[in-house]
Amino acid sequence: MNAREKILARISKARPDEAALRHHLETHPRGPEPLAFDDLKKRFAERAAKLSSDLIEADQLGLVPGLIAEYLKQRALPMKGVCWPALAHLPWRNSGLEIEARPAGNEDMVGITGAFCAIAETGTLLLLGGEKTPASVSLLPETHVAIVDPRRIVATMEDAWDLLRREFGAPPRTVNFISGPSRTADIEQTVTLGAHGPYRVLLVLTPL
Amino acid sequence: MRIGLFVTCLVDSMRPKIGFATLRLLKAAGCVVFVPESQTCCGQPGYNSGDSKTAKELALKFLSEFESFDYIVIPSGSCAGMIRVHYPALFEDEPELLDRFLNIAERTFELTDFLHRIVRLEKMPGTFRGRLTYHDSCSGLRELDVYKQPRALLARMPGVVLKEMVESTTCCGFGGTFSVKYGELSTRMSDNKCRHITETHAGAIAGGDLGCLLNIEGRLRRNGDHDTRVLHIAEILAGEED
Amino acid sequence: MRNASFDFKRQVTVKLADERLQQALSRLQSRFVEGRSAVISEIHDLQETRDAAAQIRDRVLNNLGHWLLEFEERATSRGAVVHWAETVEDANRIVAEIAALHNVKTAAKSKSMVSEECGLNEALEKAGVEVVETDLGEYILQKAHEAPSHIVAPVVHKNKEEISDLFEKVHGLPRKTGIAELCREAREVLRPAFLNADMGISGANFLIAETGSALIVTNEGNGRLVTTLPRVHVAITGIEKVVPTLEDLSTLLRLLPRSATGQSITNYVSLLTGKRGEGDPEGPEHFHIVLLDNGRSSLLGTPMQEMLRCIRCGACMNHCPVYQNIGGHAYGWVYPGPMGSILTPLLDGIEKAPDLPNASTLCGACAVVCPVKIPLPDLLRKLREKQLTLGIRPQRETALLKAWSWLALHPRAYALATKIAVRAMNLMGGSKGLLHRLPGASGWTDGRDFPAPEGKTFRELYKERS
Repeated sequence: MNAREKILARISKARPDEAALRHHLETHPRGPEPLAFDDLKKRFAERAAKLSSDLIEADQLGLVPGLIAEYLKQRALPMKGVCWPALAHLPWRNSGLEIEARPAGNEDMVGITGAFCAIAETGTLLLLGGEKTPASVSLLPETHVAIVDPRRIVATMEDAWDLLRREFGAPPRTVNFISGPSRTADIEQTVTLGAHGPYRVLLVLTPL
Repeated sequence: MRIGLFVTCLVDSMRPKIGFATLRLLKAAGCVVFVPESQTCCGQPGYNSGDSKTAKELALKFLSEFESFDYIVIPSGSCAGMIRVHYPALFEDEPELLDRFLNIAERTFELTDFLHRIVRLEKMPGTFRGRLTYHDSCSGLRELDVYKQPRALLARMPGVVLKEMVESTTCCGFGGTFSVKYGELSTRMSDNKCRHITETHAGAIAGGDLGCLLNIEGRLRRNGDHDTRVLHIAEILAGEED
Repeated sequence: MRNASFDFKRQVTVKLADERLQQALSRLQSRFVEGRSAVISEIHDLQETRDAAAQIRDRVLNNLGHWLLEFEERATSRGAVVHWAETVEDANRIVAEIAALHNVKTAAKSKSMVSEECGLNEALEKAGVEVVETDLGEYILQKAHEAPSHIVAPVVHKNKEEISDLFEKVHGLPRKTGIAELCREAREVLRPAFLNADMGISGANFLIAETGSALIVTNEGNGRLVTTLPRVHVAITGIEKVVPTLEDLSTLLRLLPRSATGQSITNYVSLLTGKRGEGDPEGPEHFHIVLLDNGRSSLLGTPMQEMLRCIRCGACMNHCPVYQNIGGHAYGWVYPGPMGSILTPLLDGIEKAPDLPNASTLCGACAVVCPVKIPLPDLLRKLREKQLTLGIRPQRETALLKAWSWLALHPRAYALATKIAVRAMNLMGGSKGLLHRLPGASGWTDGRDFPAPEGKTFRELYKERS
């Protein structure tokens, strides 16, 4: 017997109730969830602020590059970076931004992404990795900008899974829930923003 | 109402006056109290040292001594917790005995829990003037939910000013045989407790479990504090004099 | 990892006298205890949620074979390779073989307590693979050649001055003193390690049977980097970490970060399924998942099974008055605090850690905060019972226990013995009523007086008075 068979022999029941177990998997019932939120957008904004994310709103997508440029300029941050290939079509140049549509490398200081959806309960973004949506863009640069459609704010993580099952079936290789800038509290339990990932996260709420 | 008083081995040997204070409180509540003479220990020291066999024998002994009373009252949260929570657990696999232990568990109470919730004693026989801080012993607090009860009773005594210490619910470091086996650690924990007591500037510390009180008193005295009084809640509620 | 639990008592003395450690521990208490209490109340039906979480874990443990096979099937269908390791030696060998197979020279690693259990770094170094810890705390410990003292905050025992000294020495850069500067320096030193690593090593907080995924929660982002950039990813975790569905996962994630660090959610929650797919511009070409048993399976179906519910939040140690006073190193193995006092004897040998199950007042603070409702004090008590049965308690102790139990079961003898004892002790107590020394109980009297008894027992007096 190899290790797999030996372990399985020790932990497997003679007659598991296969039907009940399969039923659980297929119905994936929800556990207790928070009480319903009156206003998903408001809740999302409040929780995102608590996580030290910055948040601005734009009436239409065309205004987004200008608002991002302004945000970067105010903080004296570089006006160049990368974006998801899915966002290549936005008029970045018109606002003085130099944005390349590709996965991020070590030198890229700004990374612009969309989001699959957002979660009101915790102020969290859900990003799916893929050909047009590389995960490195939200990870390597010091500034992460995420464009979020307010109509895709759901209440809970459970709602997000439902949306994912509906639109994708199985999850892609990377599913990342992102809740604000990276941080560490390893030294003296003092929270410091900007550990190995972004130092700041800008959320731009705009209908896509 | 026929009450069996389980006085606990510690009160029996170390502080009989707590037993008498308990008697006065139960009488003030209109109870008829009996003290089975053959009672010894609830078995907790053995149980917590891994000796479930002796714990079970002592549980059966307790059952035979106390089963006939309407209620059993105990001036200790940890002994009451032993009977209410751990006796049934010991007899999980013996359905007939389990029923009897579940039944006696329901009728067994820690003193302040009994006075506050069951007999609703409104007027305390004792008088106490001054500031006092209260230590919540672990078993009473976490196994029996005894927190509000002593405070509610104290609030009915006009002379008592309760000054809460920080971390009143943190363990004092007693832990039965732990206090001897891991003396250094136990002493550090009681030292933290004593610091929190001293910081309240209350003249007295009260609690519901004599084990913790002996531990606290022992550390206070060793630290040179001979003034802070260390009292069982029964002594305060009943008054100290006979 | 080598087990030093046998040395517990001596370590307690050392740790209690270590003032820097004591200061560090007080920080932990205020951050984690108050932090948890502030956010756990966001869950409006906390008890119901804890019950649900315990049920989820029990559902898995009661059919662990089934759920692992479900997991394996889906993970494999997505191109992951699942390995099974009975022992830590097996696990180390498997990871070394993976490294050799893919011609790996350097590895970047995010925090994994299971890898600490295995001593994986040492094994890989022996196999010629350079391993860099990238979690800030673990990186500091790797440079200082120390073991973690907390499962969530591994370097809680060090203050920033010690870290400044260390960084100055190992980085050869001008000394930084601010915490933010130290973090930035570590980030800059470590970035190339992520970029150059052939292999990323991570743990997995959970494995999802429904999707065949590994789930990793981190705050720093290093978990994402080591699972995104290197061409090989190895996730190593315990066989008990599987959960059936994404909904089950969501319930557990509502509790884990709140219980661990007082966060409503960690910065990153990453669900990783399979290797890089067609058209993916990035991600590892090879994804290996190593499932470690190391004694876990022997707990199933025993009274200790409940311990396998553990989701490694560390709340039990944060709230433990023993841990709060001595920190994690005294426990001598990977997992400190109440969970460690149970896991160490169970996974690494009951005879190796005679003190751990006993060094607790059974105060119950841990059980109250445990998100999956593990009855930790009951499990400690069961281990004490096992020690007694196996005869690994000191002889003097068992003799005393026998004497006590005989007396307690013989009321007349008990009455006589207590009568004599209280009179003797009353006399010894003198006018102040305090015993400064008590034969056989120096553990008490070294640090405390023993208040003398009144001189007669309650039952004697009760008889006299009635």
